[in-house]
Amino acid sequence: MASIAVIRTQIEHRLPGALSVRRHAPLETFPTGIAALDQQIGGVAQSMLTQICMPKEISSGKSAMLNSLMAQLTRREHFCALVDASDCFDPISAEVAGVDLSRVLWVRCGEWARYGEKKLKPLEQAFKAADILVQNGGFGLIAVDLGNIDERHIRKIPLTTWFRFARVIEKMPAALVFLATYPAAQSCAGMTLHMKSATPFWSRSVRASAQPHVRTLAELGCEVEIGRSRLRKPVESARPKFTAAPVWA
Amino acid sequence: MGLIMLFACIHVPDFPVQAALRVDSAVSFKADAVAVLEGPESLLKVFACNGAARRAGISPGMAKTQVEACPQVVLHKRVVEHEETAQSALLDCGYGFSPRVESTSPGTITIDLSGTERLLGAQTKIGEQLVRRAEACRLEVNVALAANPDAALHAARGFTGITVIAPGKEARRLACLPVEVLQPPAELLDALDSWGIRDFQSLAALPVIPLTQRLGQQGLHLQRLARGEVQRELVPAEPAAAFRESMELEEPVELLEPLAFVLNRLLEQVTARLAARSLATDHVHVELGLEAHVDRLLRAEPALAAPALKYQRTLKLPVPTQDAKVLLKLLQLDLAAHPPQAPVKKIAVEAFPARVRFGQAGLFQPLAPEPAKLEITMARLRATVGEKDQEGRARVGFPAVLDSHKPQSFQVLPLNAEREAAGKCITTTPKPRCVVRVFRPPLAATVELNCDVPVAIAFSGWKGKIKTASGPWRSNGAWWDKAEEWKHEEWDVELSITGGTGVYRIFRELPSERWFVEGMYD
Repeated sequence: MASIAVIRTQIEHRLPGALSVRRHAPLETFPTGIAALDQQIGGVAQSMLTQICMPKEISSGKSAMLNSLMAQLTRREHFCALVDASDCFDPISAEVAGVDLSRVLWVRCGEWARYGEKKLKPLEQAFKAADILVQNGGFGLIAVDLGNIDERHIRKIPLTTWFRFARVIEKMPAALVFLATYPAAQSCAGMTLHMKSATPFWSRSVRASAQPHVRTLAELGCEVEIGRSRLRKPVESARPKFTAAPVWA
Repeated sequence: MGLIMLFACIHVPDFPVQAALRVDSAVSFKADAVAVLEGPESLLKVFACNGAARRAGISPGMAKTQVEACPQVVLHKRVVEHEETAQSALLDCGYGFSPRVESTSPGTITIDLSGTERLLGAQTKIGEQLVRRAEACRLEVNVALAANPDAALHAARGFTGITVIAPGKEARRLACLPVEVLQPPAELLDALDSWGIRDFQSLAALPVIPLTQRLGQQGLHLQRLARGEVQRELVPAEPAAAFRESMELEEPVELLEPLAFVLNRLLEQVTARLAARSLATDHVHVELGLEAHVDRLLRAEPALAAPALKYQRTLKLPVPTQDAKVLLKLLQLDLAAHPPQAPVKKIAVEAFPARVRFGQAGLFQPLAPEPAKLEITMARLRATVGEKDQEGRARVGFPAVLDSHKPQSFQVLPLNAEREAAGKCITTTPKPRCVVRVFRPPLAATVELNCDVPVAIAFSGWKGKIKTASGPWRSNGAWWDKAEEWKHEEWDVELSITGGTGVYRIFRELPSERWFVEGMYD
């Protein structure tokens, strides 16, 4: 009667490495530039899919976080690619946020476009563009902004799509970040961040009688909930907070 | 000791045949019998043929109907442009070795290699390199090296393969060649033939004075050529400003896939020529000759005239390349996005030369996308998301902010190596900034005012009260140009939306007084 050890030997003989534990090299991370968040999660990991989620109509600081991440990367002479499904990226505020725009490849989806004989919707365009960029390589960050796409469309994306992206990016020294209205990647994502609704702070006390021209938007108080992190187990009570000042502040 | 002169001559045997076969990969110059025809369609005659065709009984001057009796002979119609292109390719081979290259005759070039032995190696090695370079341009050649250009020329015409003639041994080495190699006028050739002079040795041995008395200075010059004594100056050819390859198809091509095969062949030839001169290209021009079919039923309507007979596309690259595959992929994507409107009959590819750029990446520098690969990626992205938006800005590229106060003043630029290298040096540590998620185009809104302050807003099916409003922030510009003039009154408003708060930037367009939502602070 064959013992477990014999069976194990036979399997390992036919399929080398089938039963051995795969040890991953420690993943490198890119700091987001938000101290409170970097302390908790260590930054956005390379070779991993990260998703940042928030309903589309609400100010939350997700774009501020993405711009801060791009600023950090371009400062370190990395190239970034931004697939903008709804063409909502603002180069002017990104430049003020410290992003070196000459290192950002911007792919503007949006309108219907011809592709051969068929026409693609913005969401399809975004995924196809992300696929092309992942194949190209050489980018430190590939960000896909689906933040203005309806949740019902995001929910329809098959899990296999996310799984495929997660598998492909595993072998690449690049971070893949999705900004979405719903955490559709589920367990395919190495990290999931849920942005909470931001609190706007105005320069003067907000009173109905106050003159509107004497107050300006001073900053947005943002809060992040770490839904999932493969690198570090998130502390449930920890909700990193940060403030994002507007261009003029 | 004076400088030893060294000249190399490259001769393409049966040049019109080889020029025709450069664009027809299915036929082999050595194995297949090929004849090139010339003349009006009704009276086509053999202009040139290769060795295999001659062995099959074909000779120049035969009528097409006679040639067709030999079914194994492949027939090609003479295209002068192909011969010109082949000659240019041959010259490019020469320019890879020396700047002094003479276009001696169609299918023959002479290169001044004096003083290059230490750089290029022994003479036999130079000959081998010349043969390899010519083979890369799809030409089978004879190469000869000698101390004077004419001795090299006659050796290349008369001997196959590589011939090296030592200085002072020209007469002995050329002795066995037939007099026809000198290409004398017909009457001189007849005279020599009647005297029984049929090779270089016999001609060289004739006494000088009687020969001059009978055949004049022309005869004397022929004798000096046969002795390998003539020393002349080369007449260097001007290097071409562009590298052009063309092909005329027997049957028009309708699909892009077969067209890509032809383009690949032409691009390979062009890039081989560029590489021979250590050049690359960043500007490729493709001209497609179209076969127009005029529908007889449509002839009555002048508005629906026949389509244009030429279709042109230009490819500009940010970084020069020698890679034919990169150029092919870019052209394929470009033609897929802008297909020709009729079947393609003729294809011409013209590459404008540029210096090869070498880059050395830093050891500790992060990975950057490879420029040529990135160009293909950008072309593929353009094919996916489109080329330009409604305002004429590129959909794929690197954004750059314009020096203007006008909202949304930016442009999207293609990859530019200089711009990339110049990359801005940001010294201050960036901190999180609240950015605007822009709605392009701005969303039309209905705004309710109280004492000229917005108190309620409705846009995109949402309606609600404004919690806080900040403004107005007025801006205008381009007042000198009515078409470009803009005048805005901006407001930042806080809205209570289900699940949280939204801070939006709205503006009133003046003087139309229409309200729009420009974006959301995020």
